[in-house]
Amino acid sequence: MNSREMILARLRSNRPDPDVYLLPDIAILGDQDRSRARFETSLAGMGGAVLERQGEETLAAAVARRFPDAKIICSAVPDYEGTLHIEDVTSPQQAAETDVMVVRAPFGIAETGSVFLSEAQLNHLNSAAHLAQHLVVILSEQNITANMHTAYTERQEFHTAHYGVLMSGPSATADIQGVLIRGAQGVRSLSVWWE
Amino acid sequence: MKVKPVNHAKAAEVFLQDEPHLKFHDERLWDMRQKRDQQMHILPEWQELRARASEIKEHTLAHLPEYLEQFEANAKKNGIHVHWAADAGEHNRIAGEILEKHRAKSLIKSKSMVTEECDMRGYLEPRGITVTETDLGERIQQLDNQMPSHVVVPAVHKLIPDVAKVFAENYQTDPNERDPHALAEAQREAARPVILSADAGMTGGNFLVAETGTFVVCTNEGNADLSSTVTGLHIATLGIERIIPRMADLGVFVRLLSRSALGSPITQYTTHFRGPQKGGEMHVILVDNGRSQRLGMDDFWTSLKCIRCGACMNTCPVYRRSGGLSYGAVYSGPIGSILDPTFNERKYSTLPFASTMNGSCTNVCPVKINIHEQLYKWRRVLAEHHEIPFVKRELMRMAGRIMGKPVLYRAAINSTNAALGNLPRVALYNWMNPWGKNRELPPAAKQSFHSWYKENRLKKEKA
Repeated sequence: MNSREMILARLRSNRPDPDVYLLPDIAILGDQDRSRARFETSLAGMGGAVLERQGEETLAAAVARRFPDAKIICSAVPDYEGTLHIEDVTSPQQAAETDVMVVRAPFGIAETGSVFLSEAQLNHLNSAAHLAQHLVVILSEQNITANMHTAYTERQEFHTAHYGVLMSGPSATADIQGVLIRGAQGVRSLSVWWE
Repeated sequence: MKVKPVNHAKAAEVFLQDEPHLKFHDERLWDMRQKRDQQMHILPEWQELRARASEIKEHTLAHLPEYLEQFEANAKKNGIHVHWAADAGEHNRIAGEILEKHRAKSLIKSKSMVTEECDMRGYLEPRGITVTETDLGERIQQLDNQMPSHVVVPAVHKLIPDVAKVFAENYQTDPNERDPHALAEAQREAARPVILSADAGMTGGNFLVAETGTFVVCTNEGNADLSSTVTGLHIATLGIERIIPRMADLGVFVRLLSRSALGSPITQYTTHFRGPQKGGEMHVILVDNGRSQRLGMDDFWTSLKCIRCGACMNTCPVYRRSGGLSYGAVYSGPIGSILDPTFNERKYSTLPFASTMNGSCTNVCPVKINIHEQLYKWRRVLAEHHEIPFVKRELMRMAGRIMGKPVLYRAAINSTNAALGNLPRVALYNWMNPWGKNRELPPAAKQSFHSWYKENRLKKEKA
């Protein structure tokens, strides 16, 4: 008997009575507010920021204003040039040179200020979203879901993407004497641009 | 030779003597507990979430073979290689074989309690594979040759100068560096080239989803997403109890996990892996290592509901004042004290006694494990199996005789109260009473509740 068969056999003989423990219905609990205001409050709580549009400025102008020292701006969206496009990035080593990465999220979650990214948004170079120094995420107010329950029941991406990350603010750590540090090993900052 | 039990009390004593470390440790963990409470108070549905989480886990554990098979079928369909490891040795062999097949010499990994449980680094490194922990706290512990002292914050027992010393020895940074930002930056700078040149990546995982063949990794630093996506070869290791039935069930667990752990509404990264990335390869190792046996233990199987948030550790007065390393085990704190004896009953026979039985662990547990009751039950099991030292056994026998008989108990209490006021210190704070170490007994009440009730209420009722 191989390990698989052995483990399964042991589980079958040792488990508690399966008929006693029923599966509860799917839970949709909590605040159903899916407003931009709630999303922004949550995002700020996780250390993320909104890249505010000043006057009539374009995204390109806002990125240039927010990151004046950025040399390599990698765009993963068709409607924004950057200094190079993600399709021209062929390796993680090359992606690691990126100062600012611009990407469009298919949805966000109001409860947590999270944005979702998958291989579909990253041209299959999933590491690019983490190797860049800073991330700018384009999000539409129409695509905010209320909370984790609604996200997992409404969004098909969880059933289709091979790699799906909910990013809630930038990378962070509190491993050194409990001091919270935003910008640990992944992106140093995460900004949301409303479209 | 019989294995010696961990001397938790003695290790705790050493920890208690270092006032600055003790003070920080106690306050830091209590701060995490308070932040957890704040999150709990924001959500009116908190108790319902806990009840749901518990029900889902109990259902899943009772249907574990079916859900594991469902997970395996779906994961395979999506191109994931699924392996089954009966024990730690098999887990390490499987990981080693995958790496060997790819001629991988450098492995980057994120935090995983299962790989600690299997002592995987100890297996791979003599075989010429360099294993680099990429989580900051875990890396500090690796460089300092220590086990993680907490399931969520592995280096929580260290202060800034301790980290500065470890980094100075390994990263050539200033040993007098006192800015945590600079130290965290040193880790980023040191880790990045290792990550970019590594041959393979490894992660643990928080959840397996049977319905979709997905596994989910919840982290904060970004190192797990780097470790899993940069090399093209991703090995993930998870205990078989990590499974839940449906994608929608994740809502319940993700909402509870980080709120219970750190008091943040969600981890910075919640990553769902459902298949290999383009051109890459993905392996999942499902680890038993005693779990299927634990499932058959009537009093203890519900400990398999644990989602490793560490809330029970943060709230435990004994853990906060003894430190994770004093438990001498991979899993420390209240949850560790009920898990560890299933790995080695004699070695960890002392751990279920590292508790005041205040029940706080049970109250904060997001999946409603009756931790303090299991601690009590372990004490009984260990007593029956003669894994308790003579003095403790005899004192418990005496206490059992007295407490079992109300008349004897009341007589004893009355004389104890009289005695507590008059006894010399040596009678109370001696080697037979480890409780007297590093703490003072509260003053004894002048009168027991029983005698007060007899004098006041009973009289009034009669009158």
